[in-house]
Amino acid sequence: MATDLWNLFIAFFRASNLSFGGGPAMIPLIQAETVDNHHWLTNAQFADAIAMANALPGPLGTKVAAYLGYQVASWPGAIVALLATILPTVLILIVLGGILKKYANSSNLKAALTGVRPIVTALLIIVAYEMAVDAFRIQVPLDYATVLIAVGSAAALYFLKLHPVLLIVLSMVIGYLIY
Amino acid sequence: MKVLWDLFIAFFRASNFSFGGGPAMIPIIQNETVHKYQWLTNEDFTNVVAISNSLPAPIATKLAGMIGHRVKGWSGALAAIIGAVLPTALIMIFLGHLMINYADSPALQAMLKGVRPVVVVLLAQSALQMGQSAFKDKVTWVLGITAFAIMLIWPGLNPAFLVVISMILGIFIFEKNFESEIH
Repeated sequence: MATDLWNLFIAFFRASNLSFGGGPAMIPLIQAETVDNHHWLTNAQFADAIAMANALPGPLGTKVAAYLGYQVASWPGAIVALLATILPTVLILIVLGGILKKYANSSNLKAALTGVRPIVTALLIIVAYEMAVDAFRIQVPLDYATVLIAVGSAAALYFLKLHPVLLIVLSMVIGYLIY
Repeated sequence: MKVLWDLFIAFFRASNFSFGGGPAMIPIIQNETVHKYQWLTNEDFTNVVAISNSLPAPIATKLAGMIGHRVKGWSGALAAIIGAVLPTALIMIFLGHLMINYADSPALQAMLKGVRPVVVVLLAQSALQMGQSAFKDKVTWVLGITAFAIMLIWPGLNPAFLVVISMILGIFIFEKNFESEIH
């Protein structure tokens, strides 16, 4: 249990504190830690976690941390994952606060962020691909229903501007009916 | 005491009435903290956001921590963070509990099977959105494609490495682009 908690802390500490570039940037890092590194869950289960996290409001990172932390080590796990995600940066912000202002506007930071964004984009594409491999089980008897759902949801997002939450609920209903 | 409650409510509202995470929350937080409760000025708020954006981790928790602390010290920070984070975290834990206990239910399996393609699409959409601000010139394309290739060739590599390296490279490659901006 203790090793699990420590590993959870390190995993979410790393994922959270390297998530430059916004919320979604944390997703590939969490996937690398929890699925690839520690094998706490499969890619399919990770996809489920992301689905549920997107169906609710609130900060994505903490939602995923609470969910996965709980799955690994119940309440202590959830707490540890949350603390690892929230605490370090908040502490730095509060303690260093005003001093950071100069750094925040520095050209170095802007340059670093310019460097990291393409990488994060690539990582997101790769995670999407890894989820797809599981969702579509790329094999000969291709599951057409799954492909249809994917295409349908992409269309709904772009043309109907359907809210992601509705999309998630709808797809679960459709899944229930078809499968 | 009332202030703590106000902080909790303000960040609870901001966090839970906005979907899509991150940036969507910022205007609501601004409305609550600057206009409604007048805890800080617009200028203060802009500074806080700028400082928060310079560090990693979820923006909502950073803003909650900073503003909460400004208003009422550590207990203020705690109240604000709890408001922003706890409700949905608890719901997620509840869902996690359901997942553990009903994992074998065919109905649940079916629903999850239906939702997985949507996750792919949502992730692709996130990639697209980030891509729009990421690929501004040729060098960024090179970085992106190289990272993509590295991850395909070496799937075991922790992407964290790429993140760190790209930031360091970024400083060397792009600093001159921003040097001219005087603040």
